[in-house]
Order: sequence, then structure tokens, then C-alpha cells
Amino acid sequence: MDREAEFGRLYATHRATVHAYFVGRTGDRWVAADLMQEVFVRVWQRLSELEGKSSDGQRAWIFTVARNLSIDAHRRQGTRAGAEEALRRQPPPGPPATTTAVIAAERVAVLRAAIGRLPEQQRTILALTAAGGLTSTEIATALRVPAGTVRYRLALARRGLATALDNYDNPPAATGER
Amino acid sequence: MNLDDALADWAAATRLPDNTAAEIYQRIIATPAPSALAGPGLNPGWWRRFTAECAVRAITSTQPVPVGRLIPAG
Repeated sequence: MDREAEFGRLYATHRATVHAYFVGRTGDRWVAADLMQEVFVRVWQRLSELEGKSSDGQRAWIFTVARNLSIDAHRRQGTRAGAEEALRRQPPPGPPATTTAVIAAERVAVLRAAIGRLPEQQRTILALTAAGGLTSTEIATALRVPAGTVRYRLALARRGLATALDNYDNPPAATGER
Repeated sequence: MNLDDALADWAAATRLPDNTAAEIYQRIIATPAPSALAGPGLNPGWWRRFTAECAVRAITSTQPVPVGRLIPAG
């Protein structure tokens, strides 16, 4: 396989998950796109280091680069502090046309805000699952944490989000009314 | 709409559009090949730095030594 074809295969396989990882870390899909590009520039320039590695090994290598870049980005820009705000800033997917669509869009907005409030580790794992399509075992390989830890953090994140949606659907009764 | 449906909508709004991903791909493969970045030969900047350093040393060697730096004869 020639160099560009091999790179194209790696890009097609991992770009969505790397992007999802950075969405979880930064909260902004365009910042995430920039960081994803930096990761794949390194993959392109150091492709020979990935040759001969297993699929899991390639994912681990790519995510090591991603983690290092993410740490650098945090140091440079303080993206952690802006993550929640960035997640809230993102507009809903499109203009709703019906009452059902309005409610759906509002629930997604509630969800987005709740995701922004999650601890970063939970948010990253949630993004890798929901937007990146990785299993807990694959996330464990990529992030080098035990699979049980991934499942625990994911369960905590989902519980928090379910509570937020439940509060939206069934708002607590106002107090102090007669 | 349950949590999974809401998460799927959030993920769809978060993912990178395919055309943007394709543009990024094209930008990456347009970057110089690694062979141009680090080949077996000398780094292209090496000769420039070497000659500059030689020139600095040649000029410095013609300057009188500052009095304070003279080592008194034993």
C-alpha cells in the first residue's frame, strides 16, 4: 500500500474519534478540528512509526499524540475554562418547524448545557462514545485507562444527563406559592 | 425522546462536516513529505549556522583581549 493510501485509511478510520476526543476536551468543534488536523499532520509525517502496529496499537499511538497536543492546548489557551461556555454557544442543528421539533431542539440544548457541566474526564468519554462511536474497551485502549473506569465514568455522565433531562421534562414544583 | 436520541442529535450537531474533513485531509497531504524535513544529509540550516559562527570567531580573534581578561604571567 502506498503512503498516501495508508494515510487515507488511517484518517478515515480515526478522524471522527480524534475529533470527538477534542470536542470532549475543548467543548468547541472548530477548535477540535484544528487540533485533529495537528494530530494527523504528525501521523502523516511519522507514518513509518505506525507501520506494523496492530489496529489497537495505531489507535493508542494516535491518541498519545492527541493527549499531548491537548495538554499543550490547555496550557496555551486555557481551553478547559472555556469548554462549558463553548458547548453552550453551539447553535442547535437547524430551525425547528413543528412543536415536536421545538421540544426536541430544546431538549438537545438542555443536554448540551448539561454536557458542558460534566467533569472533563466524563465529557471526553461521553463524546468518544456518542460522537466517536467507540466502545468502552476501545476507549480504554485509546486513553490508557481501565475499561471498568471508562464504564463507570460513562455511567456517571449518563446519570447526570438523564437527571438534567428529567428536570427539564418534569420541572420541580416552585416553592413559596400559596 | 429518550437520552440516547438526544445524545444522537447532540453528536450529529457536534461532528465535523464531511467536506471540512476532506479539506483538512487535502491540507495535510499537501504538507512537505518527511524526506524533505529530515533526510540522511545535513540539515540545510547547518551550513548557514556553521559559516556564521566561523565569521564571528574570525572577527572576534582580531579584537584585542580586554585587560581584565588577561592572565597575569606567573
